[in-house]
Amino acid sequence: MHHVTLDQWSRGGSALHRRDPRAKIATLIGFLVVLGTAHRDLAWLGAALFAILLAGLWSARLPLGPALARAGAVLPFTAVFAGISWLAGDPARGAALVMKSYLSALAVLLVVSTTPLPLLLRGMEMTGAPRFLLMVAQFLYRYLFVISEEAQHMRKAAAARGATVQGMAGNSARFKAAAGALAVLFARSYARAEDIHRAMLSRGFPGYFRPLSAPQFGRADSLFVTFLVISLIVIRIFIEKVA
Amino acid sequence: MHIPDGFLSTPVWAVMDAAAAPAVGYVVRKAQRGFDDAKVPLLGVMGAFVFAAQMINFPVGVGTSGHLVGGALLACMLGPAAASVVMCAILAIQALVFQDGGILALGANVFNMAIAGVLAGYLPYHLWGRGRGRRAAIFAGGTLSLLTSAMLALAELMISGVRMPGPVLGVSLALFVVSALVEGAITVAVVAALERIQPGVLRAPSAGRSPAFAALALVAILLAAGGVVFASTAPDGIERLAMQTGIASHARTLIATPLKDYQASWLGSGWPAQAAAGIAGLGLVYGACLMIGRKR
Repeated sequence: MHHVTLDQWSRGGSALHRRDPRAKIATLIGFLVVLGTAHRDLAWLGAALFAILLAGLWSARLPLGPALARAGAVLPFTAVFAGISWLAGDPARGAALVMKSYLSALAVLLVVSTTPLPLLLRGMEMTGAPRFLLMVAQFLYRYLFVISEEAQHMRKAAAARGATVQGMAGNSARFKAAAGALAVLFARSYARAEDIHRAMLSRGFPGYFRPLSAPQFGRADSLFVTFLVISLIVIRIFIEKVA
Repeated sequence: MHIPDGFLSTPVWAVMDAAAAPAVGYVVRKAQRGFDDAKVPLLGVMGAFVFAAQMINFPVGVGTSGHLVGGALLACMLGPAAASVVMCAILAIQALVFQDGGILALGANVFNMAIAGVLAGYLPYHLWGRGRGRRAAIFAGGTLSLLTSAMLALAELMISGVRMPGPVLGVSLALFVVSALVEGAITVAVVAALERIQPGVLRAPSAGRSPAFAALALVAILLAAGGVVFASTAPDGIERLAMQTGIASHARTLIATPLKDYQASWLGSGWPAQAAAGIAGLGLVYGACLMIGRKR
């Protein structure tokens, strides 16, 4: 499944994996801003940024093909708008949409697949994002697959009882059955959350997560951010001046 | 409707990020004040529930199906502030893990769905959620929630200059209305089923009806409706508006509007001013968020 692959990728030991999450977040923002604010010579800029991302994927020893395919998750949505732009007589904008959204998604993927999500959220917390929200996000990620599996079981059970067979029941009956299933899922999730909280309290939960080791922002990290962000800006200025 | 990066023009995503960040800080603080740390696992698991709910298909018409989006349901169940926090967490996980929605566009997505969408979804319940019209209120909440988010997203895209020919706009508006009605129907059906299993599970709307909340929600809805009208009268997006009002020459040095006739000269003089303005703005927002969001 999706998350399992991403989790496995993020546990590598490359130099990119070892960088402090804050350094990677700052570089990612720099990359996205350089790409997002560009309006001229997009083909050259896109090619250069794509080369940088490929180098990143290679140095993190991630499988190229699957990574490139995964970032393509944005393409269906983008393709619709690119098609509309094309039909409206502005193919250049359509191409720019595809290029920008794909490269942005690939950049995010590169960061997420070299940083385990708990560490990434911890990095966000250390840069000032509200802790409560990030804790909710961590719980969400932790239980996402548990609750999804439960939903899948329910769907399978319903299918086994003929819920998906056309003509067995009218649309309104199937609609009601689906609503009932969701209500049960909601009630079970609620009860599960209460159990989780009791279990956490009994283990002495202090109201926040205690990380086993705090990430250290070292010299290599500051060099990493400074070098990459400056080179991204220089590349853009160079392309816009020369091309 | 998750907007990916690359769709919104710089002024639009910058403004939306700047608007969303303090709003999120406020909502988090409000949700945190309302209850103890027991809510942390509850809100997380509720977020997971909304994710998982997408797997359960509701038959709509012939051969098509819809699924729950959940903003209004969460608002009725947990209250608007907590529902906003859950939606924010969902959007963050979707952007990071599933490449669904962009990072620079996260502010816009959060504002559309987690702030304005949830507020609009809660408004009818807040106003009429006590009496006999409760079901209608919940239905209206689901509908309004989805409609507001979709209209806001559409307006932002159009202001950014994404082309929307008339027929396409009409079709997408019709689709929005249909899916909004479906969301309303699903929300009502799920609430009804829940009350059969667990009577009294629904959170009654808070006793003290704060006019500020209703006003805020109303503003969100009007913003959504007005945004589309405004954007459709300015088909070339913000650039034409800027030229008409003559602010283009000033705006050029401050914010990078997507003007195609950029001269190379602005690179020399514009860059430092642009960057300085951007950094100053970021610093302001960052400071505001630290002040609002940090409770402990």
